[in-house]
Amino acid sequence: MNLYLYLDKDTIVHRLDPRAKILILICTFAIPLLNDHPLWVAGATLLILIYGMLARSLGNIARIKTILVLIFIFSSLMWFVFAKGTTPLFWRVTRESVMYGLATGLKIDAMIIAGLIFLSTTKNEEITQGLIKLGLPFAVAFVFSTALRLVPTFVGAGATVSQAMRSRGLDIDSGSFLERIKKYVPLLVPIFLSSIRNTDSLAMALESKGFGNSPRRTFYLQLKWQPFDTLFLVFFVVLTILNAWAKINGFTSISGLIK
Amino acid sequence: MSLIEIRNLEFTYKGGTQPALKGIDLDINPGEFIVIMGHSGAGKSTLCLTLNGLVPNLKKGAFKGEVKIKGTPTAGHKVSHFARTVVLVFQDFETQLFSTSVELEVAFGPENFNVPPEEIKERVREALQKVRLTGFENRQPANLSGGQKQRLAIASVLSIQPEIICMDEPTTDLDPVGKYEVFSIASALRQEKRMTMIIVEHEVEEALEADRIILMKEGTILAQGTPREILSQSDLLANCAVKPLDMAELFGRLGFKELPLTVEEGLEAWRRAGLTFNQERYRSMVAAQQSAREGKYGQPIIEVKGLRHSYENNFEALKGIDLTIREGEFVAILGQNGSGKTTLVKHFNGLLRPTAGEVVVAGMDTRAESIDKFGRVVGYVFQNPDHQIFAGTVKEEVAYGPKLYGVPPAEIEERVRDALQAVELAGLEEEDPFSLTKGQRQRVAVASILAAKPRVIILDEPTTGLDYKEQRGMMELVRRLNDMGHTIIMVTHSMWVTAEYAHRVVVVKDGRVVMDGPTREVFAREDELEAAFLKPPQIVRFSNRLGATCLSVEEVMACLESREGGAE
Repeated sequence: MNLYLYLDKDTIVHRLDPRAKILILICTFAIPLLNDHPLWVAGATLLILIYGMLARSLGNIARIKTILVLIFIFSSLMWFVFAKGTTPLFWRVTRESVMYGLATGLKIDAMIIAGLIFLSTTKNEEITQGLIKLGLPFAVAFVFSTALRLVPTFVGAGATVSQAMRSRGLDIDSGSFLERIKKYVPLLVPIFLSSIRNTDSLAMALESKGFGNSPRRTFYLQLKWQPFDTLFLVFFVVLTILNAWAKINGFTSISGLIK
Repeated sequence: MSLIEIRNLEFTYKGGTQPALKGIDLDINPGEFIVIMGHSGAGKSTLCLTLNGLVPNLKKGAFKGEVKIKGTPTAGHKVSHFARTVVLVFQDFETQLFSTSVELEVAFGPENFNVPPEEIKERVREALQKVRLTGFENRQPANLSGGQKQRLAIASVLSIQPEIICMDEPTTDLDPVGKYEVFSIASALRQEKRMTMIIVEHEVEEALEADRIILMKEGTILAQGTPREILSQSDLLANCAVKPLDMAELFGRLGFKELPLTVEEGLEAWRRAGLTFNQERYRSMVAAQQSAREGKYGQPIIEVKGLRHSYENNFEALKGIDLTIREGEFVAILGQNGSGKTTLVKHFNGLLRPTAGEVVVAGMDTRAESIDKFGRVVGYVFQNPDHQIFAGTVKEEVAYGPKLYGVPPAEIEERVRDALQAVELAGLEEEDPFSLTKGQRQRVAVASILAAKPRVIILDEPTTGLDYKEQRGMMELVRRLNDMGHTIIMVTHSMWVTAEYAHRVVVVKDGRVVMDGPTREVFAREDELEAAFLKPPQIVRFSNRLGATCLSVEEVMACLESREGGAE
C-alpha cells in the first residue's frame, strides 16, 4: 500500500521550480477565497482542476473523493441554514444562503485539491529546498518537511493497530458517536507509543548521519529557475490580482446576502 | 593504534535501575570484523550506541569510564562530529530512511558534511553500486523490499565514507534472501576496502566469517575470541541465550573433542569416526510420529478455494490459492517478504476478503459474515505486540477480548487466569505491560488472544526479536497450545523453528503455493526450497546428505547406530 502522496511523474508541473510551486500554492489558496458567488468559485475550482490535470494528479484527488463530497455536503447544508438572505425559499433557507453554502463547500474542496496537487508534484526535499530559498532557516524547513514525511508513517501504524484490534473483536463501525469515540482509545495508545518510538529512532539515524555537524551544508538538489517558471507564476499572480480587483468592486459577491 | 578504545565503561539509562553496561573494556582495531552476540537485554544495542557517542550524548544516563574514538573522548562531543569515523545502521529500516528517493537518501549524509554536489553525485553512484542498487536512484524507499531497504540504509552511511560501520541486528526483520544480501555486501565491503565492521547478530552460522566474536551477558563481556574458540563452546553460548551451532551441538554430545562447525566438516568428522545412521530406526520413528499426528487431526476448519486477492493499486498479491487446514494441525507458512503469506493468513479471520474465490472458516464464508464473528474462532497474534497492547495492567489487557464478546465477569476472571497460566505469566496480573520485556509482552499478546478461546491461532513471526531462550519458551508454549487442541498457523522466517515445531509446511511464492506437505518431506527437497529462497537449518542439511531428513539434533541422536568403542 502506498501512503505517500507524491506521484513520480514527468509533467510540466513536476518540473516547475519548487519556489514557483509554493508561490502558486499561495495563489491557488487565495483565488477561491476571493470569491463568494458560486459561479465564480466554480470558475476558480475549474482553474485548479486544469492545473491538476496538467500535473496528472487527479488520481490522488479521486482517492479522497468521498471526503471531498462529505465536506461539500456538510458545509453546504450548514450554510443553507446559518447564512441569511433576502429571498426566502422555505424554513430558514433562502436563495442567497443556498448560493453561499454551495460556494463555501466548493471553496474548501478547491483549497484541499490545490494542496493535494502541490504535495503530489513536489518531493519533500524540494519543499525543504524551496522554503530555504524563499528565506526560511534550514532547521525550520527541515522540521516542516519531516512532519509531512511522518504522516504516512502514522497512517501506516494506525492501519496495523486497527487491524490488530479488530481481530480481537473490536467493532469500530457501530454504536453511537460517543460510543465510537470511546472505542478509539485502545487504538490511540499503541499508535501514540509506536510513533514516539519511531521519532526516537529517526532522531538517532539523523545524528548518526552527521545531521547538524556544521552550520553550513550543501544541497544535492540544485534548483534552477527557468523561463516557464516565470510564465506560470506570472499567470497565477496576475489572475489573483485581477480576482482581488473584482472582489473589491463587488463583482464576485452574492447580492442580497446579509452579512 | 586501535580505532575505538573503551575503558571501564559503565552506563545506566536515565530512569533505569540496573546498569545496561558495566566493566566494559574493548579495543576495536582497523580492518577487524567483529560479531557481537548475547541474550535480549545483554547490552548489545547500548554498546553499539556508545560507539558513536549516541550514548551518552543523545540517550542520557549515568556514564562512567571512557570511550575514545581515534583518541577523542565521545562524552561532551556532538554525535555528528564522529559520523565520519563511525556510522550506525539500525535494525528497523523503516525509521532510518526518511527521504523520498533512493538517491536523496544516500546524499543526505555527505550534504551534512558540506560536500560539493558534484562529489556527492559520485559518492551516491559508488555507494549504490556497492549495495547493488544501481538503477534504483529515483525509486521511493517506501516501495522497496525489506532487503533492499536495509541495503539502502547501508548505502546511506557508506556515502559518508566512514572507517567503521556498525550494524545493530541488521537482518532480524529480513527474510532469508534479505539476510543473505546484507551479509554478502558486508563481506564484499571488507574484502574491497578493509572496512572495520561490527555486527550484532543472532544467527550463529553467519558469525563464522568473523575475526572475533564478543559474547555479552547482563551488561558485561563474558567471552571473546575467534569463531572457532567461541562457537565450539555450546554451553557458553546457551548460557548467553545464543543458539549453538547444530554441528557443534551434535558432535559435542557425541563426546568429540574437535568440534566441526560446518556441514562439510561435520560429514568429514562423521566419516572419519566411522559413525553410521540406522535407517530402520529412522523409518519407524517417522512412521510413529506421522500416525500419532494423523490420529489427532479433526475435520477441515479452514478451506480456501481458488483464492485471489488484489489490493486497491491493482497489485495481485494472491493468484489462486487452494488450501485445506484440518483442526489440530500445526502449519508453518514460509516464503519471502512480499510473497503473499501475510495477505493469505489475513483472509483466515476476515481481515481481508477474497477478490475472487472463497475462504470458509469453521463453516462460515468470510465474504458473508462480519469480522467479529471470526474473532471467536480465529485468534490473530500480530508480529509486534506493541501494536495491540494498550491497557494499564496485564489483567485488563487480557480481559479486553472476552469483555468485547460479552462474556460474564466471573467467567472473564477465570479465562484471564487460565490464559496467563498458559503463557506462564501468572502473578504478573497487576503489572504494567510496558514495563515487561519484549518476550513477555509477546506472551501478553498471546494470552489476550487465548482468553477469547479461539479454535485456531494465527501467529505472525512469533519469534522475531526474541533471543534463543525466549524463542524456545515461546515455541514450547505454542506447542502446548497445539497439544491442547488449538489449530496453529504460523507465518515465519525462522527455519529451525519450523523444522522443530511445525507439522506441515506451506511455501508461498509470488502469490502461489509452491510446496505443501509434512515438514520432513518439504525439507528433504532442498533444491526446490532454494528456488523459493529458503535454506533449511544445518542439522537438516547434514542429515539430508546422510540419506534421511532429521529435523533436530535429538532426532539424529536417536537414529544413531549404537557404537561399541565410544568417542574417538
